[in-house]
Amino acid sequence: MANASLLAYAPVMLKAVGLTIWLSWLALLIGGLGGLVLALMRISRLRPLRLFAMLYTEFFRSIPIVIVLFFCYYGAPLVFGTDLSAFAAATLALGLHASSMMSEVIRAGIDSVGTGQWEAAQAAGMTYRQMMHHIIGPQAVQVILPPSVGIYIMVLKESSVASIIGYVELTATGLLIRESVGGGFTILGVVALFYFVLCYTISLAGGALESRMKVAGRGMPIGEPR
Amino acid sequence: MTASPVPAPGPTPILAIDRLVKRFGQRTILDGISMDVVPGEIVCLVGPSGTGKSTLLRCVNGLEDIQGGRIVFDGLTVRAHARDIIAVRKRIGMIFQQFNLYPHLTALQNVVLAPVVVHREDRQVVEARARELLDRVRLSHRIDAYPAQLSGGEQQRVAIARALATNPHMLMFDEPTSALDPETVGEVLAAMRDLAQEGRTMLVVTHEMRFAADVGTRMVFMDQGKIVEQGNPRAMLANPHTERAQRFLQTIQH
Repeated sequence: MANASLLAYAPVMLKAVGLTIWLSWLALLIGGLGGLVLALMRISRLRPLRLFAMLYTEFFRSIPIVIVLFFCYYGAPLVFGTDLSAFAAATLALGLHASSMMSEVIRAGIDSVGTGQWEAAQAAGMTYRQMMHHIIGPQAVQVILPPSVGIYIMVLKESSVASIIGYVELTATGLLIRESVGGGFTILGVVALFYFVLCYTISLAGGALESRMKVAGRGMPIGEPR
Repeated sequence: MTASPVPAPGPTPILAIDRLVKRFGQRTILDGISMDVVPGEIVCLVGPSGTGKSTLLRCVNGLEDIQGGRIVFDGLTVRAHARDIIAVRKRIGMIFQQFNLYPHLTALQNVVLAPVVVHREDRQVVEARARELLDRVRLSHRIDAYPAQLSGGEQQRVAIARALATNPHMLMFDEPTSALDPETVGEVLAAMRDLAQEGRTMLVVTHEMRFAADVGTRMVFMDQGKIVEQGNPRAMLANPHTERAQRFLQTIQH
């Protein structure tokens, strides 16, 4: 009976799953791009850029995501002069946080490419962009990918905090359903199961992508001498 | 430009180094190096390790900035962080001690990359040339191999083909055989001899005295950041004038 009535909520739940995926994807996209820019700033020859990137990373790594979220949501009128929707605030908060994590991972990936590679590319007359695109990037990606999957999973789970400011994603939907059916644990179990399936799928997909890339760069030594 | 104080004897040098000074912090690595390289010359830089031979090469294509003096290549002043350093690098092929092939690309892709990306040449034209070059260094059967699948000697021959692919005006070799197993040194030296025979301009840091004597048109002996002695390789090997060169050449020939 209870289960039968829960089934009626299936379309709502699926829509909520979609929103959670959409939210976390956008946040990961912002995190990836922001992280790339921050990582490039951290290896820049210009001290102010390095300093800014370092402070940014340290700042967002040490602040709970809920606080960042409140800053984005309630602070938006002060900064942007306009209210942000719950969705926009959540995306921004998750994106800011993810970019601090991604910047560390991307920097480690770039660092893992030996100095000999930079010199060979420079000696061949490549510009910075050509070098990053053709030489450093493809090698760094192999190091960046595995921890990025972990970060995406983290962002996906973190996205549940959006429920606090009233964005009805998977967690919020589960809680609302629970209220309307008069409590019970089943719905919480279902929500947990959805998160698990999502994360596990990402994990599997990440693993598959990783092994495919290894074949593409067959025999590529990671952390070559020098 | 002001008039050169030294009247140029013979052909115009492709590379002119004038009182070059290079320091790492407090340490002076190159202490007033002056030398010219004329097209077609094969200059072998020899001397004890740590005397700045490799650093000298790296200054020439702007991988290191310099603290004093002047380097002019092909009429272009070399400035490490200037925008026009690219123009210098495009005309110099460099071969490294550690090969530095791109590990994510096959042998053929390694050779093709710079002409296509840096020199904006047509990929098909370049690929045909790359195949010829790999054939020339006797690697036509290894075209699709990744660097990790190649021996050290094979990797260095790919690196030579890669350097040749952009038709450079000068080749620089930074101890090209020092990281190799003894049995593969010969195949790399053979490839270099082949290049020497077609009149390439080469600047070679090496400890291979036989090679220097056979192929080099000039030997430059460096010690502690200075040029101590230079001249015809055979004459220098047989009869070095300075005591430091004598001592060094004695130790290396045993």
